[in-house]
This record gives sequence, structure tokens and C-alpha cells, in this order.
Amino acid sequence: MRLQVDPKAPRPALVSPLGGAHRIISAILCAVRNSVFSITLLLFLAQAVFVLAAPTVQSFQEGQPQPPPPQEQPSVPAPPGAPAPAPPPAGPLIVLDPAHGGTDSGARGEGGLAEKDIVLQIARTVRAQLERQGYRVLMTRSDDSNPSYDDRTALANAHRDVIFISLHVASTGVPGTVRAYYEQMSSAAIEPSATTTPRSRSFPRRPSNTLIVWEQAQRPYLEASHHLADLIQLQLAQSFSASPVTSTAAAVRTLRSIMGPAVAIEISSISGSSRDVLTGSGGPLSAAIARGISALRPSSAEVK
Amino acid sequence: MPRGMKIILAILAVAVVVGLVSLGTLQRRVQRLRQSQTAEEQARHAVLAPPISTPSDVSVKAQIFWSGGADKIAPVPLNLPLSADPVQRSRQLIQALIANPPSDAQRTLPADTTLLAFYILPDGTAIADFSDAFSSEMPSGILSEEMAVNSIARTLESNVDGLRRLKILIKGQEVDTLAGNVDLTGFFDLNSNLGVVPTAPNASKKGSQEVFGDACGVH
Repeated sequence: MRLQVDPKAPRPALVSPLGGAHRIISAILCAVRNSVFSITLLLFLAQAVFVLAAPTVQSFQEGQPQPPPPQEQPSVPAPPGAPAPAPPPAGPLIVLDPAHGGTDSGARGEGGLAEKDIVLQIARTVRAQLERQGYRVLMTRSDDSNPSYDDRTALANAHRDVIFISLHVASTGVPGTVRAYYEQMSSAAIEPSATTTPRSRSFPRRPSNTLIVWEQAQRPYLEASHHLADLIQLQLAQSFSASPVTSTAAAVRTLRSIMGPAVAIEISSISGSSRDVLTGSGGPLSAAIARGISALRPSSAEVK
Repeated sequence: MPRGMKIILAILAVAVVVGLVSLGTLQRRVQRLRQSQTAEEQARHAVLAPPISTPSDVSVKAQIFWSGGADKIAPVPLNLPLSADPVQRSRQLIQALIANPPSDAQRTLPADTTLLAFYILPDGTAIADFSDAFSSEMPSGILSEEMAVNSIARTLESNVDGLRRLKILIKGQEVDTLAGNVDLTGFFDLNSNLGVVPTAPNASKKGSQEVFGDACGVH
């Protein structure tokens, strides 16, 4: 049997077995689809308006300080029934960097004195005192580890509104003196246009939408770092007699990539002082650091 | 006094005399040993860093920057035969800086440091390549490392014309730091009053591959 199709014969109309019900269902589906689209569109527009009006984005675009980033939890938990914790403080985040660590002992003195141990102990003292004064503080290491220069830098650069303080003990120098250093970059590496303006001396703007060379990230903050180092050095000269009254420029490796005011402080010296004398300098050192930072940027407590 | 006691006293007296005599000999021996150590050090320096002399050497009063206290460097005038060639002149100066400090307390570079090579590029960049001892025997600390670098930089800029910046290498390699603190990945400005360091295109006009003088030492 062969099937034959007559091309001239009229084609049968496609008729749904549901008839009129199909049209009703299609209309309902279409209406639902349109309303879902409308709601999505409305939500998108609302989100866009919210994002544009949000202060974080606005301040980011204007290079203004950001709200404080998540910080370390306080070491002592709040007792039950205690009042609600105070809101996170504003003001700069102080990153303390005890130099060296692990297999890198740094400067070595008599009787097994090692720079890495002394600076860690001093950093703990400085941290406690700064926190008491209302500053938020982070440390690049809190044990005998040795994070790389880039790891230390990355920890600081992960936060906005950071002040970086690297702590050292020298092998040489007049015992009992302390020096503050700020980064010195070769003039060949400094583009005049990239330096900070007088307006931004104490609070330089973090570039918002430009690529930054990691090795020269400190460059826009050189003036602020110099200013902070001078402020701290002035305080140090009062606490540690025979210390210079002005800070020193030096190519300190730890400072070159920090995106914020960065200072290295070095105590002299491990060869002419005992452990107690060196670690005992933590108190006056933290007072000098706090006063220097306070002159540059007041803490939240001082703002209030 | 019993006879036994007399004998003991006599023996003790002889022992004291012998001790006194041998003490003098011992002192002389220690002094001889010290002198031989110094001579050994001098001999080692003579082998590793023989004195550099060139036909154009002229005795001049050079300013060498050694430690001028616990925390600063200061120029010390020193009569040195110095070459007219800037590379040889720089090598002579750095060798004097390492080998001839007026006292050990004024030393800024470790005694065992050797200058392996020295170049000057056409753009005025001086490249000094030191032995491993410069880094490994340097006391760690921003102050000591900065004084070491500054003593080299200030000595060169005070006695060699036309140098713009200094690059320090250790055994031919760029290293992160000198002894854990001072950054050696960049350049150190010399004669900053001479102005901005010329950029690469300017340098290429003179021939960027040209190096003044010959490389010295190992390289």
C-alpha cells in the first residue's frame, strides 16, 4: 500500500484539543512572565539607586576613609550579662610589625639575646597600650613565625586607613637611643606627579581606580610617612635622651610597599643593653608612638 | 723551722721564679700570634683584592667616609694614588674603604668583604658587586646597614665625578636586603644635585651597552 499526498489539498488547521482553555492559560502565563520581569526590573533599579547613594561607594570614589574593616575579636570574652559591646571604633588601624622571626633572628647580642624575641615582647606592650587608648591594633606576627615581607605588607594593605609601625633593635648605635625611619626611594623611581599634595599630607588619598606598582606602593605616602616619623621621633627624643630630634630616611625593605603612612622604629642596641632594659623600653616607646599617631590622626576616643 | 718546711719553701720560690720568667715568654708568644694573624689577614687581602695601580695614578687627598661615631659617618682625608679612569678610581676607593679604616671601631664594611666587580653605565649608574661576606658578616640593623651603604655612596660621590646612582649586588645577584633590613633591590642616589637620572632613551644615544672601563675581579 502506498501513501499519496495531494499537494493541492487544503491543509488541516492546527486545533488544540483544549480549544479556548489553551488561550486562557497562555494569557495567564504571559501575564505572570511579564509581572516577574517587571518585579526583577524594579528590584534591579532599586538596588542601583541604593548602591549609588551608599556612603561607602561614594567615599571610595572620592578617596575618603572607609568604614572600619572587620577586626580581630577582643582577646577577653565579654562576661554574661555584660552591656552590649560598643560599636567598632573609627580612626586608623595600627599595624605593628615585630621584625624578623623564626629562623631569622635579626640582631644578636650576648647571652642568646635575639632581636626577634625582644621586638615581639615590645610589640605586645605597645599593642596593649595603644588599645587602651582606643586604637585598633593588628600585629603582623604574634609568635615566633617569620612572615615574608610581602605577607606583612599584604596584611596591612588589606585594610584601609592603616598606619604601619615596624619595630627593630639595632646591632650598633648609642645604647638607649631610638630612631624613627621613613622610606627613602631613589629619585629615579619617584614621579613628581604621584607624590601627595600638601592637603593630603596627614591623610593621603588611596588611589581608587589606578593600578599601583607593588614595589612602589609607598610612594604616594612618602610625605605622610616622613611627617609621622618626625612626629614620633620628636616624642622619642623626649623619652630617650641622646636620641635625634628628626627622623631619618632609609631604604627599609619592609616599608616600600605599604599603602599608608609607614615608619620603622629601631632601638639601640642589642650589644650594649640587657634584655630587661630593651623590653622595658616598650612603655615609653608606645607612649611616643601614640602621641605621634595622635598628632597625625586622632583615635576614636579622642574624636569623641 | 723544720727542714721539710724549708725544702717546700725553696721549691715554691723556684716555682714562682720559673712562672715569672715563663709569663714574659708567654706574653711575647701571644703578641707574635696576634701579629701573624694580622699578617695572615693582610696576605688574604693581598690575594683576594690586590692593590690596584694604573698608569694614570696621581696621589690625591681623598675623602673616605668611615664611621664618625656610633651612629654617623664622617669623611676622613687620606692620601691615595687614584686613577683618572672612573672605574679604576672607584675600585681603589672602595678597596681603601674596606682595608684601611683608621681603627676597627670606624669600620663600616666587614673586613672580609671583597669588591668582585665594578661597572659604570653611560647613564651614570655605578654597579658595585661585592662578595658574600659583605652581606653575611654585616651586623643586622637598619643603622649599621644604612651606614655601610652610605659610606660607599658618599665616598664615591665625593671622589668620582659624573656618578648619578649606585646599585649594589652580592656575588653578581640582586638580593632583597643587605642583612635583613636595608633594601638592595633599588638604587641609591649619588650627587643628587646633578639632577634627574637620564632615562633609557637618552642613554641609548651614547650606546646603552657601553660600559666605562673594564670589569674587575671575578666577572
